[in-house]
Amino acid sequence: MTDAAASSGAPQALGRALLRVVGFALTIAGAALLLLTLMHAAPGDAIDQLPNGDALRPVLEREWLLDRPLWEQVLAHFSRAAQGDLGVSLVVRPGATVLEVMSAPLLRSATWVAASIALSLAWGATLAAATSRRSRAAGRFVEIASVPPVFLVAHLAVNGLNAGAWRLMQADLITRPSWFALPDEASWLRTTLAIVVLALGSGALSRTHLAVRTALLELRHASFIDAARARGEDTRPLIARHLIAPLAHLTAERVAAHVAGLIILERVLLLNGAGSLFWRASLERDWPLALGLALAAATGVAATRLACDGVRVLADPREREVSG
Amino acid sequence: MRLSLAQRFGAVVLAVVVLAAVWSQLAGFDPVLGVAPQAANLGPSLAHPLGTDHLGREVITRLAAACGAFVFPGLLAVTLCGALAVPLGALAGWAGGSVERFVRAMLGTVASIPPLVLALLLCSAWGNSHTHLALAAAIAYMPTFAEAVFARIATLRQAEFLVAARAYGLSEWRIVWRHLIVAACGPTIARQGLLLFSEYLVLETTLSYLGGFGVQEPMPSWGNMITFEWGRGNLAPLAAPVIALWLTLLALAWLAHGAAEERSHV
Repeated sequence: MTDAAASSGAPQALGRALLRVVGFALTIAGAALLLLTLMHAAPGDAIDQLPNGDALRPVLEREWLLDRPLWEQVLAHFSRAAQGDLGVSLVVRPGATVLEVMSAPLLRSATWVAASIALSLAWGATLAAATSRRSRAAGRFVEIASVPPVFLVAHLAVNGLNAGAWRLMQADLITRPSWFALPDEASWLRTTLAIVVLALGSGALSRTHLAVRTALLELRHASFIDAARARGEDTRPLIARHLIAPLAHLTAERVAAHVAGLIILERVLLLNGAGSLFWRASLERDWPLALGLALAAATGVAATRLACDGVRVLADPREREVSG
Repeated sequence: MRLSLAQRFGAVVLAVVVLAAVWSQLAGFDPVLGVAPQAANLGPSLAHPLGTDHLGREVITRLAAACGAFVFPGLLAVTLCGALAVPLGALAGWAGGSVERFVRAMLGTVASIPPLVLALLLCSAWGNSHTHLALAAAIAYMPTFAEAVFARIATLRQAEFLVAARAYGLSEWRIVWRHLIVAACGPTIARQGLLLFSEYLVLETTLSYLGGFGVQEPMPSWGNMITFEWGRGNLAPLAAPVIALWLTLLALAWLAHGAAEERSHV
């Protein structure tokens, strides 16, 4: 590459990166607009949820702009959210700001989602590498194991563990384990179980397995792999490097499903994260908190997709050409 | 079209589920009428093929009636989603350029909201009903559906048969509708429809299992049947919805694979 080409390439790359960041901001703004419109257009309002709502209605209607047209309400809510003011929790922790209530659980849940995605990719890739030369039977078996929804896998795992431990205790083969009985007590096992179930259930494992297997089969027949083999090189590092882009694509595709799965698992396994908080906020109609958590989930999903796009562009020269 | 063994299995399971749902509507299933405490926790027999639950209700009747909780709203979700996603995907794939960028950015925005989050918010704000759940599933799944249609049409945009169709003087509308959407995207649409139906089944059973949203007792759902019977020491009423759910999801997944393979031959 000449110096002139290199110097013109850097601003171009910066421009593309900036475009992606603007796209990310627009995605978040669009998601916020959609959610706010859905919530504001619903029958009833947040004042209905307050114990003395009727008495406070005239004051709160003016303060929360509920006496204004829908588009004005959405615009006002949107501008406050852009400044980081997501409102105040009405039912779950009355009076506390939404940011205050959701920040710690969000961090915990984000860690669990990241761990489950990493595990899903790791064992999907390992399984695919082990079965890529075999018949479709391996794929069918993975599919049968992975197709049940996460709530069912968690339910069967928790109750199976409890029943098994109880039988062993009854037979005096073991003393009561520290984690027994799931899910009534806090334990590392419940968190591990959530991560494992999230990486397995609702088709997570079978989709990873299928995507990596397809990518591996394509790579094994690629001409550059044949050329490397003819030169006597070890092709494994080359294949591993070319798997990064499909894995990043898969992560971008699956992240929303992992977030949704975690909401369910936090309920089933009684984990104290953003998912169970969101469930409670939705059930008790704490709309500012539910909306804040929904926006946080949308931001997390969009940010992961942006990061995966970046990884794909860095890992695959063809992607660089396309985005150029 | 020759169906594989897996697809034949899928077709049979799906047919049984749909027939059970139709039966539950036609027979006017009453969830309270079957309560018979004297016949509680009976094991499977000729008189009670899957036994009875702890309230003496026929498990097989409730299992069949529970199909109505997801088949009709699931079909509504597929119809709504298809009505939104197919024109959007076709528009983006056919027009290209700035129209494609705008439509796909819009789809990316919707896709950033996890489906369960949208479903819970919608049911919380608008009320817990099958229609709202179907609407939420349709909106949440629309980006995946539309992207699949878009990808199919974008790859065929410059195909020779379309050049020939233009040369014959066919209108753009006729080319897009007859040759692209109906002929070339049929299997893609069928696959996405089956996958969405499967997503709806998971959504409905999950919400009913967790309680608070979805189908509430005494109305049956495979999800609330699992919760309701757990820990009561009777295996049949518990195993029946678990196996039914597992088999139905597997059947839908294999039928969807079949549609994908069919597409690769088109």
